[in-house]
Amino acid sequence: MTAAREALVLPNVFLVVLLIGGLRIGRTITLIPPSPYVLLLGLLLIRVAVQSGVLSPDRLLASTRSTLANANGAVVLVTLWLAAAQALAVLIPDSGVPRLAFNVFFLILLLNTAAASPDRQRLLRSFAVTFGGAFVLKFVVLHGLSAPGQGAFKRALLALVDNVTAGALIQEVPHPIAAYAAFLTIGLFLIGLLLLPHREPPIRYELPPEYRLGR
Amino acid sequence: MSETATRSIGLGVATAFAALIGWLYARQPQTIAQVTGGLSAVVGAYAVDEQSFEDALRFFRNDQFVEARMAFDRADPAVRDARTQFYIAYSYYRQGWGRTYHDDRLYADGLTAIDRAMALAPAGRLVVDDPNLGMHTPEEVKAELLAGLRVDASDFNPLRVFRTRK
Repeated sequence: MTAAREALVLPNVFLVVLLIGGLRIGRTITLIPPSPYVLLLGLLLIRVAVQSGVLSPDRLLASTRSTLANANGAVVLVTLWLAAAQALAVLIPDSGVPRLAFNVFFLILLLNTAAASPDRQRLLRSFAVTFGGAFVLKFVVLHGLSAPGQGAFKRALLALVDNVTAGALIQEVPHPIAAYAAFLTIGLFLIGLLLLPHREPPIRYELPPEYRLGR
Repeated sequence: MSETATRSIGLGVATAFAALIGWLYARQPQTIAQVTGGLSAVVGAYAVDEQSFEDALRFFRNDQFVEARMAFDRADPAVRDARTQFYIAYSYYRQGWGRTYHDDRLYADGLTAIDRAMALAPAGRLVVDDPNLGMHTPEEVKAELLAGLRVDASDFNPLRVFRTRK
């Protein structure tokens, strides 16, 4: 990994995620910091990233590196943690049963991923699918249901889920630009994950057939 | 560029960006003017628009409080000047004041503005030397606004009609 990527690109990508992910655009614009719960989920996400090789912490912090390089590495780790928490916070609905369900879902998902111990490629693919799915659920389905009006789609979905959620499904509808900001946040976060210094998979040598045992 | 230079610049940029984000979270600016004004104030380069401030004072002294607040907002678009916020609060007080009743909504807005003025005042202390005002400090204005919002026995004193607006 180049010094420019470690010192300039990664911290700034994650800080942009932290900034844009915190925007809540409604009647007024507010910046919401990540809650303690999503900070905990962010830690879990980093743990899974380290376990799968998406992040190789010894390439960011090591006694063989200079103090300045270690400082850059520490900044990457801290900003990654905050960005991970903020990216998850963007995907969690603001209130009601959906908020509770998404909170539990992300916790179980991260614990399950840690137990499954996927490799780098599978984990990145899994995050892309999960985050994409959560984005569609929150910004298309839930906000479609909560928006004023009675379209056929809304009536059908309400009929499906109204009894299950005891009516606590409706969310406050944000400004239309909120979905674009969330999309940018998630996209940037996934790009940041892809750019992290990762652990190379172990090299497997395959012996020629004539050297194999039993031949 | 050498690796050390790249790393030093990266560390500096990330620190500055993180500080900006922290400041935005703390201040919660609502407009670009508030962002730029707030950042200018951090480096001591913020100043109110004196022409708009003079216009606002003229409106204020003519009891044209709505017009005065518009001009005060124009003078201090970033909401960073304690004196301007003091006058805005005072305008709410004067507009909401009545011999037999006070307008609670205007008084509540005044309370918000005077709290802003107190938060912005250097070391929390502000004295406005304006001979046209009956109160010269935010503490006096805040006490008057709070008294107006409170319902107590003095509200039923018929002699209150002889009180004067400050």
